[in-house]
Amino acid sequence: MLQIKPILAALKRHKAGTILIAMQIALTLAIVCNALFIIQQRVDRLSRPTGMDENNVLAIQNRWVSVDGKDTAPLIKADVQALRQTPGVQDAFATNSFPLRGGGWSTGVNLVPKNEGKSTAQTTLYFVDDHALAVYGAQLIAGRNFTADEVITADPKDIKSTAQVIVTKALADKLYPKGDALGKQLYLGGKDIPPSTIIGIVARLQVPWNGTWSDNFNDNAMLLPVQLTSNYTIYLIRAKPGQLADVVNSAPAALLKTSRMRVISGDRAVRTYEQVRGDAYKNDRGMAILMGVICVILLAITAAGIVGLTSFWVGQRRKQIGVRRALGATKRDILSYFLTENLMIGVAGVVIGVGLAIGMNLWMVSQFEMARLSIVYVVVGVVALLLLGQAAVLAPAMRAAKVPPVEATRSV
Amino acid sequence: MLKMTHLSKVYRTEVVETYALRDFNIDVKEGEFVAVTGPSGSGKTTFLTIAGLLETFTGGEYHLDGVEVSNLNDNARSKIRNEKIGFIFQAFNLIPDLNVYDNVEVPLRYRGMKALERKQRIMDALERVGLASRAKHYPAELSGGQQQRVAIARALAGSPRLLLADEPTGNLDTQMARGVMELLEEIHREGATIVMVTHDPELATRAQRNVHVIDGQVVDLAEDPRFHQQQARAGAPA
Ligand SMILES: Nc1ncnc2c1ncn2[C@@H]1O[C@H](COP(=O)(O)OP(=O)(O)OP(=O)(O)O)[C@@H](O)[C@H]1O
Ligand SMILES: [Mg+2]
Repeated sequence: MLQIKPILAALKRHKAGTILIAMQIALTLAIVCNALFIIQQRVDRLSRPTGMDENNVLAIQNRWVSVDGKDTAPLIKADVQALRQTPGVQDAFATNSFPLRGGGWSTGVNLVPKNEGKSTAQTTLYFVDDHALAVYGAQLIAGRNFTADEVITADPKDIKSTAQVIVTKALADKLYPKGDALGKQLYLGGKDIPPSTIIGIVARLQVPWNGTWSDNFNDNAMLLPVQLTSNYTIYLIRAKPGQLADVVNSAPAALLKTSRMRVISGDRAVRTYEQVRGDAYKNDRGMAILMGVICVILLAITAAGIVGLTSFWVGQRRKQIGVRRALGATKRDILSYFLTENLMIGVAGVVIGVGLAIGMNLWMVSQFEMARLSIVYVVVGVVALLLLGQAAVLAPAMRAAKVPPVEATRSV
Repeated sequence: MLKMTHLSKVYRTEVVETYALRDFNIDVKEGEFVAVTGPSGSGKTTFLTIAGLLETFTGGEYHLDGVEVSNLNDNARSKIRNEKIGFIFQAFNLIPDLNVYDNVEVPLRYRGMKALERKQRIMDALERVGLASRAKHYPAELSGGQQQRVAIARALAGSPRLLLADEPTGNLDTQMARGVMELLEEIHREGATIVMVTHDPELATRAQRNVHVIDGQVVDLAEDPRFHQQQARAGAPA
């Protein structure tokens, strides 16, 4: 039997505790909604695909020493040769960067020479050879791969464009929304730079960055058939299935055997793709865990507050519980009294909390480029807090129901 | 209406067993007004709590309105308390968080009565005790006598057949006590059965019948020497 009116009347006489708990529920709801939302966003972010078959891929970052960057072409050629012959290695190539590496090249692309207008799309550039697609495990959905003789050798400062490029579908669609990018041209520079022809399209390949700044071109990547001569060379290696653990050791060893004029050291020098991914999303994962911990702590504090206040109230009201029992209340009536009372405080709390949650989100939207809070999180939060309240109040309410009717006759 | 035979009540703690009632026999007829007297600790309150189904007993039998109550479950006992019995406590026992109106409403809500009927009954009962104008007041804003009258209104509102009062005037001055007593007599005249515990011999004499309890047993006043001693002591200072 609902007794909203008398419960409300009684609550009016206990304003301080009521307001305290309602505000605690409101704040918890506001923070939990937003925290869940942030967690979901981070989880979405770190589950974005790279477009690669990441299993069995190894990345080695190599810095050349006592040799000039522009003279590294033969050394790189020898390295790649050595890697491809290392037992357990399926294929390998040299490049400037790779998805989730954290650093790389980016540039604007246009359908007309660049200095005639704003660029149409932003993209990252991967300098690769004809083995890259195989190592990535990327899916070529249109056109063809580079051929070995299309791969040129060039210094970073001299490279302006190449005759052929392979682009991701996302970039192709951005440049040619009708879906007819294959065989078309694009410009990476001004009038004096020759255009490039799109000879192939891959399903997906992510940019090297994972911060919010690259979110709007996350899947815009372009492959150029260039063997870059530079002080830094990165080798991407695909191990044969099940041989990655061996290759982690044998590949750097093979490189050192080829030439000693290099440094392969530091905790990011030799990484499996699993490690690359872990490093790239360390902050996102950390943030998600932190938010999760905050949620759990807040919910626990709120539950404890409810248990505490209700226990206090039950203790304080033992006599009147006894009187109610004497006047005909069943155990269930007493139980439902406290559950209803909690529900009413909870409803007041979540009503305020929904306002706070939306306000908090709008503030974050204005301060940190956050997305708008989805109403789903608010609904989930409301339901969760009301259920939490009912669960928290259950034990003290059951204690209240056990107060015997004879309590009414006990003096003080 | 209320019949106890060979009833006993034992309070057990870790160290002692207290026989609050033993071989307790009483038979209150429908429509009677019985005053229960006896020295402190003799078991009067214990008798009343058992009579009012606030507590269970250890042995013997108790028939309330013809029903043996020892086998009733908690819900059935709650229902009987709610519908057949009205309680008046020495300490009034109003709910401090509720105003007079809401206090009187408590037992009616547990009965699941419709709002309109509740309102009717509450106003009638408050009218009876002369406090209709105080419906919105809180207990703390009333005198002791007024609080006890609210408690009587609460007991009356559900039209119980049996009214149990434990020293209803114990916390009141003579003036207020008289008012409360008159109210009880009026209720009795209208047909309710009343069992009232009291320390006040004057009030006791106004009941139809006196039952004296000593050491957890009903005694025949005329035959018990302890009663005469006590009477002598009680009368001495006055
Ligand atoms: N809950 C209890 N636990 C243990 N002993 C109890 C309990 N309630 C009552 N008693 C004992 O039972 C006996 C009868 O108590 P009761 O309260 O019925 O006396 P009373 O006649 O109402 O006394 P008073 O006139 O002082 O109100 C007393 O000895 C008391 O100590
Ligand atoms: Mg007593």
